Amino acid sequence: MRKRLTWISGFLFLLLMASSLSYAGESKQLRILYLNDFHGFAQSYPSAGHSEKTGGIAFLAGEVNRFREKQPALLLAAGDFIQGNPWTNLFDGKSAVEVMNAMNFSAMVLGNHEFDFGQDVLKKRIAEANFPILAANVRGLSSITPYVLTEISGLNVAIIGLITEETSTTTHPKNVQGLTFLPVIRTAQHLVNDLRNKSDLIIVLSHLGLPADVELAKAVRGIDIIVGGHSHTRIDKPMKIHQTLIVQGWEHAKVLGMLDVTVRKQTIIRHEGKLIAIEPRQQKPDPFIAAIVDRYQQQTAVILDDVIGEAQIDLHGKNSRSRETSLGNLIADILRRQTHADIALINGGGIRADMLKGPVRINDVLSVLPFPNHPVVLKVNGKELKEIFEHGVSDLEGTAGRFPQVSGIEIVYQPANPVGQRIRSLNVDGKAIQPQSWYTLATNDFLAAGGDGYTALTKILETMEHKGNHPMHENRVILFDSGRAIRDMVIDFIKDKKLISATVEGRIQKED
Amino acid sequence: MRIWLNGKPLTLVPGMKVREALIQAGLLQEIEKGGKVFDEWGNEVGLDGAVENGCRYTLKPKE
Repeated sequence: MRKRLTWISGFLFLLLMASSLSYAGESKQLRILYLNDFHGFAQSYPSAGHSEKTGGIAFLAGEVNRFREKQPALLLAAGDFIQGNPWTNLFDGKSAVEVMNAMNFSAMVLGNHEFDFGQDVLKKRIAEANFPILAANVRGLSSITPYVLTEISGLNVAIIGLITEETSTTTHPKNVQGLTFLPVIRTAQHLVNDLRNKSDLIIVLSHLGLPADVELAKAVRGIDIIVGGHSHTRIDKPMKIHQTLIVQGWEHAKVLGMLDVTVRKQTIIRHEGKLIAIEPRQQKPDPFIAAIVDRYQQQTAVILDDVIGEAQIDLHGKNSRSRETSLGNLIADILRRQTHADIALINGGGIRADMLKGPVRINDVLSVLPFPNHPVVLKVNGKELKEIFEHGVSDLEGTAGRFPQVSGIEIVYQPANPVGQRIRSLNVDGKAIQPQSWYTLATNDFLAAGGDGYTALTKILETMEHKGNHPMHENRVILFDSGRAIRDMVIDFIKDKKLISATVEGRIQKED
Repeated sequence: MRIWLNGKPLTLVPGMKVREALIQAGLLQEIEKGGKVFDEWGNEVGLDGAVENGCRYTLKPKE
């Protein structure tokens, strides 16, 4: 009798498992809504080269509501939500999490920019989130989870989070201190093996970028869907690599991704996906989300207009395209000190206004430095420095914006000489630079990428790239902080010092 | 990190984005005119999209 009962209870258990994993052959449908790389762009805006505004998280939320009314849906966030725009940066990402909570997200994967405010802030944001925040390949951050198992529409769905391994090198070192970023493919394979028999569907919520998503789909069998981010890719129709569907929804809440799948026996037998353009002229906003957006926008306006310090004298910047300026010196000094470099170089064309004597507001700094350039520190030798600054004084009319504003170096040039032969001397710490000696040069990512014609800087990257069979062997990039703009360094400096001043002190001298 | 834009090789610092590739190629102003960047699969990418070693992009001017 006991044997018979055991047999019956075993049978019932298997039946229960089978029915819950859709083994019975019954097909079930699941709707997945997704977005990625929001970067705090809460309000609609016109994209470059276009006049009509698109995006707006309240309008996107309205669309989410509309689609959720028809059937239950997962709502997934593929990373980089809390950093990127004053609407969220000024609140260390709190505003973005508040919106996400109100939208009832199902899960989010950490993006590399989630680390930009430091780990303490990130832990606060994770604690505030009422949805799981995933990253299976990160060790050392106790408040995240590798995956979640959730039941929806009669399906058991496993959602695994994966973040780019490059986060360890493309984020400021202090923000990822103590963390280990494990290899993506090995981590994914291990989890897929573990979760395959516990779920009807395996979704990887990825902040890897499309090329890495494609490699993941090729390398790891058993992933049904990759919902991606990081490369800001507009995948209009789902891609299919082997048996894995890959989707991604562009950036800045300009589209909402929707993927409908029909699942039978742990296999997607049908799918249909599309991106829904977010066009405020044609869609209704979610009023509750709109109220949150407006509240933080009003606070943003107040903060931007807050007095953060005082200029003790007029700081001139408008002439930075053709001569040394006091404001150019101040900004270059801040960049050099913050990055601990020997020398700092910024392009005069990047300084767009003066900062006059009196109260200084964040808005004033944004007028002076309207471009969100990021610091880069390179290892350069004296010969390369000469080439860099020869270019800097090659356009003395100032039309191209390349004229240097510097810190930590004294430049004497002869404007009457031909281009390429104008630098007479370069001194660091009062000593002439030596062609074979090494220096650290802080600049911005615009110049490091060769902007304003600074090809001498990109040549440095090329020498690094082509060293032997190991292109990255000699690392000449000391720092690239994509998480903190130089203008934020200036704002923090003014907040800290309160009283600011700078003069023209002969760092760049003309000699007839 | 080496990538290609319109068939031309470019060298970027790891962590740089599509925007820096356009700056290096001297093509950023094409975006202001309505141009768009596409990846090797024909998908449009945003200027702040991460690039990876070996990626190939095409800038298509506004038609």
